[in-house]
Amino acid sequence: MDLIHCMKKNVIHISPEATVREAANTFIQHHIGTLPVVDPDGRLVGILSIRDLVSQVLPDFVNMMQDIDFVLDFGAAETRQPESDVLMTPVKKIMSPPYSGRGDCSLLRASALIKKHNLLDLPVVDDEDRLIGIASLVDIGTRFLQSWK
Amino acid sequence: MVDGIIALIIFIFTLYLIFSEKLHRTIAGLFGAAAMLIFGKIFGFFNESDAINTIDYSTLGLLLGMMILVALLEPTGVFEFIAIKAAQVSKGKPGKLLVLLGLITTLFSMFLDNVTTVILIAPVTILICELLGFNPTPFLIAEALLSDTGGIATLIGDPPNVLIAAAAGLTFNDFLTHSLPIVVVAWITALLLLKLLFRKELSVIPTNIEGLMELNPREVLKDGKTAVKVLIVLGLAILFFFLEELLHISPAFIALTAATIALIWIRPDPRETLSRIEWSVLVFFAALFIMVGGLEKTGMLQDLAHGVAGLAQLHPLLFGILLLWLIALLSAFLDNIPITVAFIPVIQSLAAAGVNVNAYWWALAFGAGLGGNGTIIGSTANIVVASLSERTRNPITVKLWNKRGLPVMLATLINTTILFIIAYPFLSR
Repeated sequence: MDLIHCMKKNVIHISPEATVREAANTFIQHHIGTLPVVDPDGRLVGILSIRDLVSQVLPDFVNMMQDIDFVLDFGAAETRQPESDVLMTPVKKIMSPPYSGRGDCSLLRASALIKKHNLLDLPVVDDEDRLIGIASLVDIGTRFLQSWK
Repeated sequence: MVDGIIALIIFIFTLYLIFSEKLHRTIAGLFGAAAMLIFGKIFGFFNESDAINTIDYSTLGLLLGMMILVALLEPTGVFEFIAIKAAQVSKGKPGKLLVLLGLITTLFSMFLDNVTTVILIAPVTILICELLGFNPTPFLIAEALLSDTGGIATLIGDPPNVLIAAAAGLTFNDFLTHSLPIVVVAWITALLLLKLLFRKELSVIPTNIEGLMELNPREVLKDGKTAVKVLIVLGLAILFFFLEELLHISPAFIALTAATIALIWIRPDPRETLSRIEWSVLVFFAALFIMVGGLEKTGMLQDLAHGVAGLAQLHPLLFGILLLWLIALLSAFLDNIPITVAFIPVIQSLAAAGVNVNAYWWALAFGAGLGGNGTIIGSTANIVVASLSERTRNPITVKLWNKRGLPVMLATLINTTILFIIAYPFLSR
């Protein structure tokens, strides 16, 4: 069972020059968690996750403190809005590297990549790194677990 | 004469390597020690047993003992616990918060290592500020400045003081009677000036204090039992530091015994505790001792000192003030430990030439300690605070430090100079 068998085609993607605001609207519109960033030739150049956007407003202490479970109320940090220069930033400035799998990638390897790079979805590319599909952790996981029966 | 010049070249070159950061300072120090030993053997002015004898084990022992106590205290969360409690006492009022966080950082820094204190207090400061909707910058800068200032007050407060005490034969109580009063004035000056310089940021009214007040400080206190044990042992050690002269025991003995008692009482995984000790600092000190020892053995420093001794005897007070300012200016740009190590033999040589140097030890302590506040790179605590802030939305820039940190350094240096002049008869006794 290969990655090509559980991926979704017709992937919603975004250009590297698009802004954070445009990316946010795309996430909302299509209710997705991962937006592959694709250049004009269709090649995968990066991955934008909904986490990347949300972390723009996460308070700094989330990264600075080892344990934040005891902070029940984020106080004044709750009302933080992203600054306008953040909203106008092109996504290429905040995207992650283009982690991906080929169509013939095994499900075990795909699962490992997702875990290693903390992804929600794994983009699938052809031999020339052009985006051909996307498989979520659920897509891969459920197919994988089927072999356990 | 030749050996003196060779030793001086090695010494200056090693200082250059350290200050230019071309090599990590520990490696540079080891290079200096090795070079001194190699040339010492070739030219017959310095050998291995000389080298072993120049290492001041009591300084290393004191540092090691205190480092062990800090290493045991670090993971308990007690620093963060106290910081959150203090913030809650302030009820989020920015002025009060600044004073309380500054005070806590200073008190810890007087007895424990400045850098560790700042590393632990900075993240929780950022948390508290974000919950209240404040810019953390004034608080972080204040913590770095006040921790450096406070560390000058006690023998164990900062590494230069430990070195000076060993070289000059000063006791814990000497620092309390000679340094503490002057440092208290400098500290208050620093705090008031910081409140003035940051008055805009400190006039923000917190919109929401519930986030802060709802924190349960006990949740950051991961190991209260260990914290209490270490603090008890630390308290006893400080008590014995007071009694050092009466009981004829050295601070190193007190510190190492305290560390041993704490280890036996707490029984942590020794590898974990020992991994938190800054061995590179201890190795660096040992290497510096050897290197300076070699230089001293050639008599070169005595010769240099004779040249300056004349000036010192003619205008002793003026010389002291010049020394204070020179060392402070150097410390603003360079690491204060090598500066201290470089000036100690100079002062010792002046003493050997018949000059009364008692007050100059204090000039060195104040200069090395206060000077570090002048620039963003002036002290390790400053660098820590600045690099932590770079990972946040409000990075501290060089420009900001020059506008806020440098005035504080100058103000504290000025009033320390005034007090130095007034107290000169007392300091030179």
